[in-house]
Amino acid sequence: MEQIQQQVVNNLSILIQWFLFSVALQRVLRKMGGKKTWMAYVPGLRYLALSERLDMEKDGVVCAVLDALSVIAVLVNLTVAIDMSERVSLAMALIQLVVIVALFVFRIRFFLALIRAFDMKKRWIILWLIAEWLTLMIIGFGKKFQPVAVGRIHEDWEAGTAPAEIPGVRSPGGRAMSNTGLSVDLRERTVKELFEKRYLLKDIALDIPNGSLVLLLGGSGAGKTTFVNALIGYEKADATVLLNGADVYKDYDRMKYRIGFVPQQNLIRGNDTVQHTVTDAAELRLPAQMPNAERDEKVTEVMDLLGLTAGADGLVCKKSGGQLRRISIAMELVTDPELFVLDEPDSGLDGVIAREIFTKLRGIADEGKIVIVITHTPDRVIDLFDKVIVLAKDSGRVGRLAFYGSPQEARDFFGKDTMEGVVMSVNRKEEGGEGLADECIERYAKMTAEKEEGVRA
Amino acid sequence: MNENIRHKGRVGQTFIYLGKLLRMFVYQSDWKVLPMGAIIASVVTFVVGANLFVTQEGTLMGAFALVCVCIWNGFFNSIQVVCRERGIVKREHRSGMHISSYVMAQMIYQFMLCLAQTVITLVICNLSGVQFPQQGIISGQGILDVGVTLLLITFAADMMALMVSCVVRTTTTAMTVMPFLLIFQLVFSGGFFQLAGFAKKITVLTISRWGLDSLCAVGRYNELKMVTLWNTIFKFKDIEFEGTKPLLDVILQVQEQGKVDDILYWSGTYNTRDAFVSTAENVLKNWGAIALLTFVFIVVAIIALKLIDRDKR
Repeated sequence: MEQIQQQVVNNLSILIQWFLFSVALQRVLRKMGGKKTWMAYVPGLRYLALSERLDMEKDGVVCAVLDALSVIAVLVNLTVAIDMSERVSLAMALIQLVVIVALFVFRIRFFLALIRAFDMKKRWIILWLIAEWLTLMIIGFGKKFQPVAVGRIHEDWEAGTAPAEIPGVRSPGGRAMSNTGLSVDLRERTVKELFEKRYLLKDIALDIPNGSLVLLLGGSGAGKTTFVNALIGYEKADATVLLNGADVYKDYDRMKYRIGFVPQQNLIRGNDTVQHTVTDAAELRLPAQMPNAERDEKVTEVMDLLGLTAGADGLVCKKSGGQLRRISIAMELVTDPELFVLDEPDSGLDGVIAREIFTKLRGIADEGKIVIVITHTPDRVIDLFDKVIVLAKDSGRVGRLAFYGSPQEARDFFGKDTMEGVVMSVNRKEEGGEGLADECIERYAKMTAEKEEGVRA
Repeated sequence: MNENIRHKGRVGQTFIYLGKLLRMFVYQSDWKVLPMGAIIASVVTFVVGANLFVTQEGTLMGAFALVCVCIWNGFFNSIQVVCRERGIVKREHRSGMHISSYVMAQMIYQFMLCLAQTVITLVICNLSGVQFPQQGIISGQGILDVGVTLLLITFAADMMALMVSCVVRTTTTAMTVMPFLLIFQLVFSGGFFQLAGFAKKITVLTISRWGLDSLCAVGRYNELKMVTLWNTIFKFKDIEFEGTKPLLDVILQVQEQGKVDDILYWSGTYNTRDAFVSTAENVLKNWGAIALLTFVFIVVAIIALKLIDRDKR
């Protein structure tokens, strides 16, 4: 009888602690902003909700699984009397021990992050170790405990959930898309995060003629790489992308051979020769019917163009940073792509070598191809570009088109002398910018509409 | 757009990657796994080689050690090969590389490595004086049957490590997982450690269990002499009973009659195991099980690597 009473008291104590912990956590989540604070009551999900607010998503997933496992174990212990063999119960106990230890470590991580978010003294961890629920109660209900950067945290939580309503900006569609060059109608690019739709990009429409060298500008997180991935069909958006009349999305398996993408990092095997690296890329991507002699000629031509012929038999790992970038470019260029996209081809290179690479890209564009380049140091090579695309985060933190035109038009539009100045004008104030993104997006939308009306008239 | 344009298919791409891997065998010093395998095989045969395929106890211990060598070699061959170049694989997949061609090229290349390691192990065993069974069960040559078994074990372990390398994203994770897999293989081999119940059932999932059964079967374990009983009796030879040493008398009598080997073979008949029976059917069953596990590892590797596009930037 006494044993049963003790059991009931223990179970009640566990339930009360869980309830108090959940109530306190809900208050903390509310203070930090965002929706779905009810998640505080659901084992597993509660850590996901907290992790999103503390920017610890990866830890959140692990912690959610561990939390759910531990709760299941507690429920099994409370409700089911399983007659297990000695070995099985030993194994179960061992697993439980591992889960408890791992969860404890993750909880410490979360609490340390919470201490930082609320700018509290580290000694709070002592109370937390004794009574987790009580500490959370104090943080959740105590008026003096407020997140130090509540606006920022709240904004992060809300980022991309609701695109800003900007007058004049229309969703692309219905316009006559060009059958030459690259024509893009991107309505939206979204992701699902914790059952919530988040917008990464919205309402981008532009036509790039063949033979253009295009600069893609935007602040950090404006969606440049997302835009590029959507453009080449690698990460599909709700969009229509036509490359010389062919639909990139509908016929991706064929179109991917007509698009070259040079990633930011030099993703090349170091322990192979330069010659073999480029030749293998050509063999993989050029049409199988192409005679060997023609293919070899193409390889030689590209290697000559990029200055890789000397030392072609050397190992890739022995080459300098500039040479590695050129090898990376050669691997894509050898397939003669109609659309050529490069993500920071000049990263880590000095001005002279960067200029040399961009001059080569100018030459490639002059052959009638479309070359789109992302770079963070545009001004040293801006004279080589035909067009500039400026992406900016609107006030809802969604990537939008703030400008598309020639470099001179960009200078006039933004009233800046440099491309870095252009980026600064659309960057958020928190990032050291002028925070004019919404205004520029609106002005550009109006300007485009006026141009279209002018053309119709 | 020209609809008739074709690009290199899976077979063509396999050869491109095979060429790349063979070049990297030279440039990347992959060849180092061969002398490393030779050193490990030398150490093991030095310790357990004398009684391998001679006595039941020596065969079980030696076979277990050889299985360990094969699994170790296989694991080390490929545990890092994919994860260390995951970013490159992702880029190439985006550019039109078939994952199945890439894995197939790795398979062929790794098979060559495993074959070379098996030959080296056999040569070292031979040089160390290991007495291979004269009569083979499948091929007619005992050494050939042993060789095929060692090759299958090494290749299966290699493919298991390749699967891990395709699943995990970093070399650190791969090297953390590897010891656990190794210990699992060794503990659940089933032959060396006594297992019962559920633990015994798990052994069907291990390469080591089928490898050990196969090696003992081709090594004609059930037909070998057992020395444990004789050695135990020998230990007690000086025990006195009513002023006499009866065990010593028996031992001397047996030795005088030259019947020690008869006793050893006779005692071996009481120590036979069904799993080690030396029939073609049993050996083929074991080889088939290893081949099946290998196939599963390859399929999982391909499926896992096909998800590479989901890797976050």
